[in-house]
Amino acid sequence: MKTVSKFVLAITFLVLPVFAQAKTIEMEVNGLVCAFCAQGIEKTMRKFPATEDVVVSLENKLVAISLKNGQDISDTQLKKAITDAGYTMVGIKRSEKTIGDIRTKVKS
Amino acid sequence: MKILKQAIACCLFFAVGFQQAEAKPISFAKGSTVMLEYGGGTMIEAQAFYAPKYWWSAGVGAIEFDLADNSTQERVTYVRFNGLAKRWNLPAAQANVFVWGGVGQARSNAFSGSEMAWNYGAQIDYETRRVYSSLRTDWQDADSFKHHTNTLQLGLAPYEHDYDTLATWVVLQARTYDRPLYDGVETALLLRFFKNGTWVEAGITNDKKLQAMAMFNF
Repeated sequence: MKTVSKFVLAITFLVLPVFAQAKTIEMEVNGLVCAFCAQGIEKTMRKFPATEDVVVSLENKLVAISLKNGQDISDTQLKKAITDAGYTMVGIKRSEKTIGDIRTKVKS
Repeated sequence: MKILKQAIACCLFFAVGFQQAEAKPISFAKGSTVMLEYGGGTMIEAQAFYAPKYWWSAGVGAIEFDLADNSTQERVTYVRFNGLAKRWNLPAAQANVFVWGGVGQARSNAFSGSEMAWNYGAQIDYETRRVYSSLRTDWQDADSFKHHTNTLQLGLAPYEHDYDTLATWVVLQARTYDRPLYDGVETALLLRFFKNGTWVEAGITNDKKLQAMAMFNF
């Protein structure tokens, strides 16, 4: 029984991180007022190997990335990418939302 | 230059008055910009820049001035460096200070041979998704001529564009030139559209001349 309990516990610890993996990263960005000028942000974000898709919304001051399965991009890398694109990141959060949900929300 | 004129005339539909590009001289990091302007009877200019970083770009340009006397033409081909001296990224606005400078070769039917020509200038701008304002000063400086233009633009968007929608702006422009080019203050009403990497602008001056500009980022 003790062996079984240990086994179940081990499996749980292995499986949990997979279920806890964030699907999207949403960044709040200052200076997002001109779509012509903000093209560079999308291009920069798409260069990350872990990026599946990108949504940019001027209305919501938002740059959102969906991640490929099992992959991630660190906050430091993202902040540097936004800064190197000429903008200022002021907030970041990770969630299980899909990029489709975010796209629907910003268009509504 | 004849081929350049024909190429630009094919791209742009309207005959225009004197205008220099008013958009930002730097696109985005690792981005290229091509700008074409046609000034019927006064100016034609073409520029191409590459920005390795978001805060600087470099490239080449060619400009031809047709003076108000209708008999003198001046042509300058140049290289130029553009720099973003300062940017403020605010929650719902952005402000910038740009500076630029370069050197080129000037030719004219008013003098023989060629002369070295310096170009330099600066622009400060402030914009939200509804309001655009910019003030720009531009110099082309050769031994035989010195052209200086100051341009003020105030723009209003009838609606707030978003990242993947068409942006529309109505822009009021006031410009002063040195006298050989134009005497007095020229005002113009412009309509500006941009979406993705394409920007087009056309308008009419107080002299009832049409102005147009096209810019492409990629």
